[in-house]
Amino acid sequence: MADIKPPRMRIGRKIKKDHTFKVKVRFEHPSFTGLGQVDTESDPPFNRAIPVTYLRNMLVYYGDELVNRFNMTSAIADNPLFTFTLKAVKEEPVKVVFVNNEGQRWEVSKKVKFSG
Amino acid sequence: MIRHTQKWLGWLAGLMISTSSVAAVETFEIEGLITPASPEALTTELESQLGVKVVNLDLKNTLTGWPLLSVEFDDSQVSSDDIKAAIAKIEDPAGHNYKVHEGPMLIRAPYLEEETMAIAKFGPDAPAVEAVSNPLEGNAESVSRGKALYDRNCTTCHGLSGNGQGPAAHGIGTYPRELYVWNNAPASADGYLYWFITNGRNEMPPWGLILSENERWDLINYIKTMTKPE
Repeated sequence: MADIKPPRMRIGRKIKKDHTFKVKVRFEHPSFTGLGQVDTESDPPFNRAIPVTYLRNMLVYYGDELVNRFNMTSAIADNPLFTFTLKAVKEEPVKVVFVNNEGQRWEVSKKVKFSG
Repeated sequence: MIRHTQKWLGWLAGLMISTSSVAAVETFEIEGLITPASPEALTTELESQLGVKVVNLDLKNTLTGWPLLSVEFDDSQVSSDDIKAAIAKIEDPAGHNYKVHEGPMLIRAPYLEEETMAIAKFGPDAPAVEAVSNPLEGNAESVSRGKALYDRNCTTCHGLSGNGQGPAAHGIGTYPRELYVWNNAPASADGYLYWFITNGRNEMPPWGLILSENERWDLINYIKTMTKPE
């Protein structure tokens, strides 16, 4: 399996209370369906080739509150970049948790600070 | 004397039979068979390296899902571990090495506690998107109303001809879309366009806050009549 690096997060610098702000999360994690195409004549043409690997869940916390869940499949890209918006209602950290199909867990967080 | 020699030869033959090799057949689950060239690369290399015979390579419909390689070998010469080690050293034409799969395959580990809590909170699946259909499809008046709305609201960025080169386009981070690509688009595209116009994207505002529902459908009907400028 390719190297897995910890996820990274960026949020806007100028965040105003009650306005929305953008969150970007990048995670260098491989994604394989695990299928190969050895015999192209048969139907379906795929066989199991390597162990399947993918991110299955991304959970977003704002403070202590779980605000969203992204449910994924093996069709997701390698090293995905997620962008989503949140409403700035409190000066607390945004935490993103990733779980892959093998049950391994990673997290990244950044504190939201109002600029004015 | 002859009887003694026959007895001795019989004993020798019995000894040879008892110490002669026994052909064993063992099946291995193989990882790494990805391309059409993979099976031949694996079997020929394995046979030439160890002098074993590949009896069968079952690629599909196996119980575990992994391709099954059946190998017949002389167990006094070669062991099962030798075969596994040899397989691990053989390189696939795609550039990786094969491997004998061991243990159960963990496709989906049990959910962690926080995943279970998230599923309980938001449900197992995303909420279904409400399907919409164009109530004014094929309406000529709607198209003319749409043109008036387009000229008033959209030309600044998307241009009069829908080529995405309106006067304000150069000051926008994301270049405005060329709308003539939707010329004669099927009815199934209407809901997609309706969603984008209603909710906006990047610098485009959510027109759902400004235009009524029918006005947005008028716009879609007009956009679908736009043609690529010469």
